[in-house]
Amino acid sequence: MDLLNQIIRQPMDPDYAFAAVGNESPQGRWKLGVLAMIIGALFAVAALQTTRAAPALQSERSELISRVQTAEREQDELRGRVTSLTEDIATLRTAALGDDDAARLVEAQISTLDPVVGNTAVTGPGVLIVVDDSPSAAADARDRVLDIDLQVLANGLWEGGAEAISINGHRLSNLTAIRSAGDAITVDYRSLTRPYRVEAIGDVRTLQARFVESSAGAWWNDLAQNRRMRYEISDVKQLDLAADPGIVLRHAGRAAS
Amino acid sequence: MIPLVGLLAGIVIGIVLEPSIPQVLQPYLPIAIVAAMDALFGAFRAYLEGTFTDRIFVVSFISNVLIAAAIVYVGDQIGVGSQLATGVVVVLGIRIFTNAAAIRRALFHA
Repeated sequence: MDLLNQIIRQPMDPDYAFAAVGNESPQGRWKLGVLAMIIGALFAVAALQTTRAAPALQSERSELISRVQTAEREQDELRGRVTSLTEDIATLRTAALGDDDAARLVEAQISTLDPVVGNTAVTGPGVLIVVDDSPSAAADARDRVLDIDLQVLANGLWEGGAEAISINGHRLSNLTAIRSAGDAITVDYRSLTRPYRVEAIGDVRTLQARFVESSAGAWWNDLAQNRRMRYEISDVKQLDLAADPGIVLRHAGRAAS
Repeated sequence: MIPLVGLLAGIVIGIVLEPSIPQVLQPYLPIAIVAAMDALFGAFRAYLEGTFTDRIFVVSFISNVLIAAAIVYVGDQIGVGSQLATGVVVVLGIRIFTNAAAIRRALFHA
């Protein structure tokens, strides 16, 4: 505090008080003029540079955005390739297994497990939940949907007996990460845009009721009532969920026969 | 009169000639300007109080600008550049406001 007081009490250079009054020489005047010119030039240059820098920053930003978009398109293409290669793997697997009883047993196992782990696209009745930030999210960051809210939502749906879940078209598997990165929530490291559409395939008779009764339902009720977030839940006759392209074949071997 | 003319001439020169500041010095330009404003207000207050001396103004202006830039430079080297810049701006800002208040009192008696 003492420091601030000192600054306020003595805002001028103390030398002014000591120096002799009125010893202005014409030469000094010119010095002053030159100095004033330097100050003026400083102001002008700084102002010019700031106004110049603005469009440069803007173009840098749009350049970055376009690069991100290109990278995302590339990622989409690669994901498409992954899907087609996965199909190839399935064909090759069927060919390799041959056609005996043991092979048929393995095939049956695979076809039961595939939809559960998210390896194949699935269709069926289920529940659609649409959530979004509250209208006052711009003013209060706590009114925004966070990654943990979506995590709770997804876990609540699993708990309620969902067989397959996707968020904004990104299928969830047990390897899927729902995280926030910067301002956005990412699923499988792909950023989502609001509103968040969570689709879950499961038993329509029980899924919604069991979800609402679970702790996730209570969590979201609380968010909807206290934070006024959008939270709409409805039954849907038919949902089409794509396969999770993030699932890859990591290990393959010949079955012991 | 001469300082005012000089100031205007400087602004015009700056706009017309657009001298490019070296990249290294660019971060220190805003700080130098704040220091220059502090020296200007201090000088004007001293002028109104009748204690103005151009020698002291020149010396205080140059040393203020150099010291402010040097503080930020040293801060940049040890990783606290933005904090020290904030400190410089706060201190000089307080001085500018105090001097401006004194100038207002002297000019308008209010």
